[in-house]
Amino acid sequence: MSQSLARNWGGSRSDDWLLSALMGLAILLTLAPVARLLIEGVSGPDGLTLAPLVEVLARPTTQAALWHSIFTAGVGTVLSMLLGGAFAFLVALTDIRAKGALVFCLMIPMMIPPQITALAWTQVMGPSSVLLKTIGLAPPLGSPQPLHSPLGIAVLLGIQHTSIVFLTLRAGLRAIPPEAVEAARIAGARGLRLWWQVVLPLSVPSLAAGTAMAFVTALGNFGIPAMLGIPAGYSTLPTLIYQRLAGMGTSVLTEVAVLALLIGVVALAGVVLNRLFLRRRAYGLIGLANRPLEISLKQLRLPVELVLWLVILAILVLPLLALAATSLVPAYGVPLSWQTMSFGGWYEALFRQPVTARAFRNSFLLATGAAVVLMAICLPLAWIMLRRPSRLSRTFDLLVDLPYALPGVVLAIACILLFINLPLTDLTLYGTIWIIFIAYIARFFTVMLRPVQSALAQLDPAMEEAAQSAGASLGKRLRTIILPLTAPAAAAGAILVFLTAFNELTVSALLWSSGTETLGVVIFNLEDSGETVMASAVSVAVVGVVIVLMGAIQLASRRLPKGVVPWQN
Amino acid sequence: MAELTLTALGKRFDSHVALADVSATFHDGEFVALLGPSGCGKTTLLRLLAGFEAPTEGEIAVDGALVASARTGKLLPPEERNMGIVFQSYALWPHMSVARNVAYPLEVRGFSRAERRTRVAAALEMTGLTDYADRMPAALSGGQRQRVALARSLVADPSAVLLDEPLANLDLSLRATMQEAFAAFHERTGATMVYVTHDQTEAMAMADRVAVMDGGRIRQFATPEVLYSEPADAFVAGFVGDGAVVPVEPCGPAGEGGARVRLLGQEVSARARVAGPDRLCIRPEDITLGEEGALRAEVRQCTYLGGRFRLRLVAEGGLDLVAFSTARVRQGVSLGLTIGQPWGFAAEAAHG
Repeated sequence: MSQSLARNWGGSRSDDWLLSALMGLAILLTLAPVARLLIEGVSGPDGLTLAPLVEVLARPTTQAALWHSIFTAGVGTVLSMLLGGAFAFLVALTDIRAKGALVFCLMIPMMIPPQITALAWTQVMGPSSVLLKTIGLAPPLGSPQPLHSPLGIAVLLGIQHTSIVFLTLRAGLRAIPPEAVEAARIAGARGLRLWWQVVLPLSVPSLAAGTAMAFVTALGNFGIPAMLGIPAGYSTLPTLIYQRLAGMGTSVLTEVAVLALLIGVVALAGVVLNRLFLRRRAYGLIGLANRPLEISLKQLRLPVELVLWLVILAILVLPLLALAATSLVPAYGVPLSWQTMSFGGWYEALFRQPVTARAFRNSFLLATGAAVVLMAICLPLAWIMLRRPSRLSRTFDLLVDLPYALPGVVLAIACILLFINLPLTDLTLYGTIWIIFIAYIARFFTVMLRPVQSALAQLDPAMEEAAQSAGASLGKRLRTIILPLTAPAAAAGAILVFLTAFNELTVSALLWSSGTETLGVVIFNLEDSGETVMASAVSVAVVGVVIVLMGAIQLASRRLPKGVVPWQN
Repeated sequence: MAELTLTALGKRFDSHVALADVSATFHDGEFVALLGPSGCGKTTLLRLLAGFEAPTEGEIAVDGALVASARTGKLLPPEERNMGIVFQSYALWPHMSVARNVAYPLEVRGFSRAERRTRVAAALEMTGLTDYADRMPAALSGGQRQRVALARSLVADPSAVLLDEPLANLDLSLRATMQEAFAAFHERTGATMVYVTHDQTEAMAMADRVAVMDGGRIRQFATPEVLYSEPADAFVAGFVGDGAVVPVEPCGPAGEGGARVRLLGQEVSARARVAGPDRLCIRPEDITLGEEGALRAEVRQCTYLGGRFRLRLVAEGGLDLVAFSTARVRQGVSLGLTIGQPWGFAAEAAHG
């Protein structure tokens, strides 16, 4: 075996060992919990049986929730694709001004936990909106909340995941050599034809990858359908699971496992469709993408800029303002004015409650750890999967989205099932911070892997062969050639991992214990106990911290290698 | 620098035979060109030498030491072969400066900082890049990138330097300059160089010996002069140099290295290594034009080449010939030909 592998890859035996070990570790981390869950879903008291599967699938509530999930995630994804795609194309290809600021702003919606997004938006639109009351535009009490509807859920899911499409597509667009576009312009193509016939076909792989990721993320989203759907009696699969668990407790673990598997199947179908779609559309790009493209929009520039900033205003500034307004009133529902403005919520949440500081520390360590560990694993792993494909790696490639697609509560249950008793020992990870850490690794694996994979696939293989001929071993090549050239994608991945993990709630909601609270848990607990004002205060603080961190990265960008900061031009 | 020995080398990709039964020795310090049309297997041969592909038949030895063998399954990975390579796309690492690109092979081999600096400076000096040491590859022109790739491939004293159509992306005048640079470079370093190209002028101008390849085989491996004056078969005769290949009837031997053949009813003496050649390679230089002559041909086309004219002629029986003339000849004029010492070979030549 190792002989034939070495012949195919030109690698040494010690490399082979490391690579196999890495592949094994990745499979263990990501797929073992899912496998454990699968077993739970098809096991009854007398061993394996399909009875619970058939029973749960036959229920009208299951079918309704399945349809609701596909509808909201589907419509949301279309919105994400349109918004994120339009922003990515305009920012990456044209001469609009203040690109850095635009990108910076577009990153922010992703940092706000979904339930806070939902909360903020209901603050923008509902009859009890502090913002609307303050400016005297609130609809009368008792009028319907327009967001408590399938379309409301879909729209917020779309906004929430716009940055995913944007970031992935933009990374792909940056890899297009400007000559490809310039050649088409010389050939006489202009405007939309240029975009349609040259830019779009070349960027289809990254657009599709971003769209698939947005769909899978929307499918597993819990916060938005929970906040908007439950009051309207509209269940998606994740909220159905939550309701069943909350109502019936652990007696419904098997049923919940079946529902979770159903989400997994839908997510997998999305990924497979994406794969089939891309089969004939992945082109190798030749040449150095050394200059950014700047197609002049001429007299259209100002209107385009205005529209982009209006969109930013609508999807970012407005809900954040509403959130800030809510955090500054003495009690929920009171209109905000200079007289009523109060920092009581802030003071109480940030300084009186020790749990907040602890949660900040926990979330920070967990998010940093997950980003660093995933970067270390995914870079060599993506390389193996591309350069030395095997049946195992292809299967892994297909399944790695599962822990991300599963709703957080379900992954949490899977992790509890797997780690409550470590095999061959009396040890348990349950109740320690490590179970949250492992769950994060499993969950965000795909967030890191996909951008690195796509950057690697676009790399000219001769770059690596040149290094190989120069005498560089695999490790050295990975460090000095592959790492720097995929660094922008890896950094983008790491930042996505960090930001999502930093605000993550649904996984840690079931895994936390006293001392290992995360920020998401603190916000959720505050909100759950009716402290909407304090929850808003912590949320605003979190967003503030993240913006400061991003600003710090921005400032350090001059010292970082070119292209490491994903939102920098 | 080293000697490369290929023994019965073959490479199959699934059912497609890319390379078959290639045996050759590239001597120490020799500049070898692999010449052939696209798909002839020349790049596959280069990648086998570099170690990026494993042979499915035969073996490769460097200075007598086996580096790849289909029989034993031995395959020294590229990073342990000590080869320098220049790619058609240059494959410069865009995140490293020129100096760092060139220094990389030394860095990998663990040379000291001082040693690295001396050698990089020498390599940059030799390629005329001293002033560009701190530039990034993106800020260089095509020819400069090419020279960086060359400097990088040579800096660590490789056993051989492999060049994969390195001039294909350059303009004509730059190509001529780079050809001279390569030749001069080869002379100065004494490196064994294997140069893949589809351009016969390039191969003939630079190489000590040229391996003409077609269909995965080496059709002939010889010096440019021998390829031109004594092609082994019709493919080599047609691919290398100008002229025509015509069928003839053998009439018998004519002393050592000669043969008598019948061409359009006329008996002609030819140089040959086989007893009864049935093909002639007639180069333009072999034809003397005159008013009189037993052989007659009509001028179809007259092209000025600078200093002389190239005539495309059609003889009786529709035979195409090429000749040079010092004066312009109008189309349709009938001329007499005298043919002196063309090269005769057998159509069914044994390939070796």
